[in-house]
Formats: sequence, structure tokens, C-alpha cells
Amino acid sequence: MNVIETKDITYSYPDGTLALKDVEFNASKGKIIALLGPNGAGKSTLFLHFNGILKPNKGTVRVNGEPLKYDKEGLMKVRQKVGIVFQNPDDQLFAPTVMEDVAFGPMNIGLPDEEVEKRVKESLERVGMEGMENKAPHHLSGGQKKRVAIAGILAMRPEIMVLDEPTSGLDPKGASQIMHLLYQLNQEGMTIVISTHDVDLVPLYAYNVYIISEGKIIKEGSPLKVFEDVETIRGANLRLPRIAHLMEILEKEDKLPFDKPYPLTIGEARRSILKEFDDKG
Amino acid sequence: MFENMLDSYAHYNNLRNMNTYFKVLFSILTMIMSLISTSPVVPSIIAVFMSALILLKAKTPWRFYLKFLLIPFSFALLTFIFMAIFFGVGAHVLELGIFNLAVTQDGFNLGLLVFARIMGGFTCLAFLALTTPMNELFKTLEIVKMPKIILELAMLMYRYIFVFLDEAINMYHAQETRLGYSSLKKSLNSLGMLASNLFIKTWLKGEQAYMAMESRCYDGSIKTMKKTESIKDIGARNLALLVLFEVFLVSVVYFTANFRVF
Ligand SMILES: Nc1ncnc2c1ncn2[C@@H]1O[C@H](COP(=O)(O)OP(=O)(O)OP(=O)(O)O)[C@@H](O)[C@H]1O
Ligand SMILES: [Mg+2]
Repeated sequence: MNVIETKDITYSYPDGTLALKDVEFNASKGKIIALLGPNGAGKSTLFLHFNGILKPNKGTVRVNGEPLKYDKEGLMKVRQKVGIVFQNPDDQLFAPTVMEDVAFGPMNIGLPDEEVEKRVKESLERVGMEGMENKAPHHLSGGQKKRVAIAGILAMRPEIMVLDEPTSGLDPKGASQIMHLLYQLNQEGMTIVISTHDVDLVPLYAYNVYIISEGKIIKEGSPLKVFEDVETIRGANLRLPRIAHLMEILEKEDKLPFDKPYPLTIGEARRSILKEFDDKG
Repeated sequence: MFENMLDSYAHYNNLRNMNTYFKVLFSILTMIMSLISTSPVVPSIIAVFMSALILLKAKTPWRFYLKFLLIPFSFALLTFIFMAIFFGVGAHVLELGIFNLAVTQDGFNLGLLVFARIMGGFTCLAFLALTTPMNELFKTLEIVKMPKIILELAMLMYRYIFVFLDEAINMYHAQETRLGYSSLKKSLNSLGMLASNLFIKTWLKGEQAYMAMESRCYDGSIKTMKKTESIKDIGARNLALLVLFEVFLVSVVYFTANFRVF
């Protein structure tokens, strides 16, 4: 079942920039979906349609099968289901302290104070920011701000969490910690949608990948299937994962018998290399 | 940056966790004592006492504290000199020897009083500014029935001042790197661009922030959890100390009312 479903949505900004053209995007329940695209492709714009911040000029957005209603009540409802973590944490963190910021969403839902307090504590623990409750956002590092931004959405307990470039600006360890957290949340049943240009990270976690370029979805499918189409990937100013690139070079330049689909992760590559050796020996 | 440092010290000092209402009450009452005193004795006591609290209790680095005091001190000193020479009539206590200028008796006394009051009052403010983060100060305003909308605005402004300060500093450095400030004409030009750019950025950021708040079900009013601290948490002991201290100051004000240096 698709928890998010957009049908042919088209959107242009007030200044005339056509940011999305007939975009069809589906996120199936309980999966991790990645939206891959270069700068300016329309990733952030698409995400803002998922909870009704932007309204498409044409087409429909469905959440849990129901078309979005753009009245006050409908928006309140969809925003509790779909939580968006913004690309730039400084846009999202507005409160003077970490605790107040994380409490903002749950307070708006109208939860009692005790419940809010409990959720704030839990969410900060989840992202590894416990003990920082009284810090001011401007005293946090970029990575820490990102974690607090995620905690602020977690505290609302959404069914679907949408993260705009959750790993950009993070060091490798920070990035993999965040991805690991998302993986865990997904294991617990949350549907996760992320946008990124980190092609090396996508195949490790994503169930399904969409490639967006200049406002159009140009490819969709499992990571293996999507990265098989090398021309499209390169045409969209993206690249293959390093491992796949290595295998491609080994095949094309050194005539080694690795064929498409190229392995995308270290584990897969290791298996296919070992298999090659075994077959020979 | 000075603003950033001030904010850091306000967040990380040894008196941070003391009840905010207590700190506010303490500094305001003490400041009033400094202002009603008709002799420089009480304001001087207050200035010394507050500085001692800031340096020894809150453990604010003395270098920063001196820097913090420098501006009001220079201002107070100038006032003092000005008043001592040009104010009042009466016996001369010191002939300057040029233009027939002299320090008069009541000029000196008045100047000294104003000087002491400025320093006394300012150290009270410094105590608040250096031990209590801005946003906690805003919250205490709720008790005097400040409209909620103003508090919310103050809270948002407080947060985004630092975002824009960062932004402005970055832009300034970027311009500096490209020699944008190498002559007066270029400086004016660069500064103009920085200002207009910052304005546009403020606008865009505002839109982004609003979207992010809407995403979290913002409906036009920022709801906060029930106060974690209240005016009732000051405690009997602290309250007694406060009353004693202020009564002590009042009596000193009374008994030194006619004290003059000359
Ligand atoms: N507020 C706006 N007004 C006008 N045009 C905009 C606005 N925001 C984005 N655009 C344009 O819409 C297009 C898509 O932008 P979007 O921010 O969705 O890209 P993105 O894929 O998120 O890029 P990035 O990876 O850099 O974040 C771009 O051409 C951009 O210039
Ligand atoms: Mg973006």
C-alpha cells in the first residue's frame, strides 16, 4: 500500500520557475524511499507538497489513500501523519532552547504537559542529544542542530518521516549514525522518505529510488535496477556509487567478467569477486 | 564577537540555575536603591557588591567584565568631569588655571553622585545580563501581564538575531576576502550590498521558518509547557536574605543622606 502518492503534480513558483512537471511519486508503507537528484532538481519543492505546505497547480497528493484537504483541519491532520525535517536546521529550530523546540510540535497537537515532557526526553535520547535540553540552538554544531531538528519531528510520532538531505554537512560518522537511526525507526514500522545526492549511501538503505532531474522523475525502481542505467544517472549530473564505478571500470577497461547490474555495496562486490575466484579455481 | 560572548556567559555561569525571578527582583530592587540614594555611598557599595557577585560567584572572567564595564565607565567618568567643572556655583575646590575654570564644591558632589549612580545601576544590569539568558528574562515579563504576542516576537527575534549575525559576519568576511573594504568608497558600496542582501535573506529565511513551523502544526500561537520555575520557588531563605539586604541598603541610604565629600 502507498502511504504517499502523488499523481501528475505540477508546480511553478510565483516567479514563474517551473519546479515540478507531472511528478508521480509513491512511497509504500514501512519502506525507506530515496529521492535522488542534483541541486535545483526540485527535491525540496516536492517534499513540501507531502504535507500541504505547497499546493500543486495540477494533480493530486494522497496520504494513506485520501486526497489532501487544504482546509485548516485537513492540514492539521496530515501534518501529524507526515513529519518533515527541513534541509537547513536553522530554518526549523526557532525556539531559544533545545527542549522548547522539541516540545513545539507535540504542544501544537494539544498533548498534555506530562506527555510532551516524556516525548521530548525520549526523542532527545533517540538522537543522542540527552543532557542538552537547556542549550541554545546557536550554541550547537551543525550536526547537533540536525539531530535536534529530527528529534523535533520524532516527538510528534508521525507515521511517515520525510527528511530533506539528512546527511548533508555531516561528517562520515555522523552521517552513518543518522542513517542508522532512520533504519531503526524504519524497522519499528515508520515509513521514511529521504532526499540526497549521496549515491553511496542510498543503496545501503533504500528499498526504492526515484531520480529527479529538472523537475521530472526520470527513473524509478530498486537501487540495483536504477543504477543499471548508467547513462541516465550520468545525464542527471549524478554518478554511480564508487563500488559500482570500480566494477564498471574493471569490466570495461580490464575486461574482467563483471556484468550489469553492478554490485552497489562493499558486501555485494565482495561476494561477486569471491564467486569469480571460486569459479576460476 | 561581543554579542556571542555575552550570550555564552549568560548561558554558562555559576548562577545560571538560580531562580530567574529572584535574580530579576534582586537586581531591580537594588537598582532602585542606587537611584534613590542621595549620597554616593550606597551606589558605591552596590557597585562593589555586584561586581564581587559577578566575578566571584558567577565566575565571569574579569577581562570580559572589564570590557563590559568600559563603555558605561567612560560615559560616567565624562559626565563626572563635565559636571564637576561646569556645574554649580559655590566654593572652588580646585583651580584649573586655564580659562578661569575651576571645580566647584556642589559641582563635584553632584558629579560624584551621578557617577556612582551610573555605576551602581549599571552593575545591577550587568549582573542580570551576565547570569541570565535573554529568553529567560523575557519569560519573567509574563508576570507583569506583558501581552503574549510581544513575548513570542521577542523569543523569535532572540533566536534569529544569532542566525543573522552569523550570516552577516560570513558575508562580511566574504567581501573582505575580495578586497571589498580596501577604500572608503568600496567600503560604503560593500556595506550597502551587505545590508540589502541581509534584508532579502531575512525575508526568505522568515518564509522558510514559517513553513517549518507550519509543518509542525503551528496555528498562530506558540504554546509553551507549564513553567518549570515560578516566583514561588524563590524560597523563604532567599527571600529573607533579599529583604534583609534591601533593608540594609535602605537604612544606609537614610543615614548617609547628607554625606558629602566636600
Ligand atoms: N521560493 C522560490 N521561488 C522561486 N523559485 C524557487 C524557489 N525555491 C526554489 N526555486 C527553484 O525551484 C527549483 C527547485 O528547487 P528545490 O529547492 O526544490 O531544489 P532541490 O532539489 O531541493 O535542490 P538542492 O539539492 O540544492 O536543495 C530550482 O530551480 C529553484 O531555483
Ligand atoms: Mg533542497
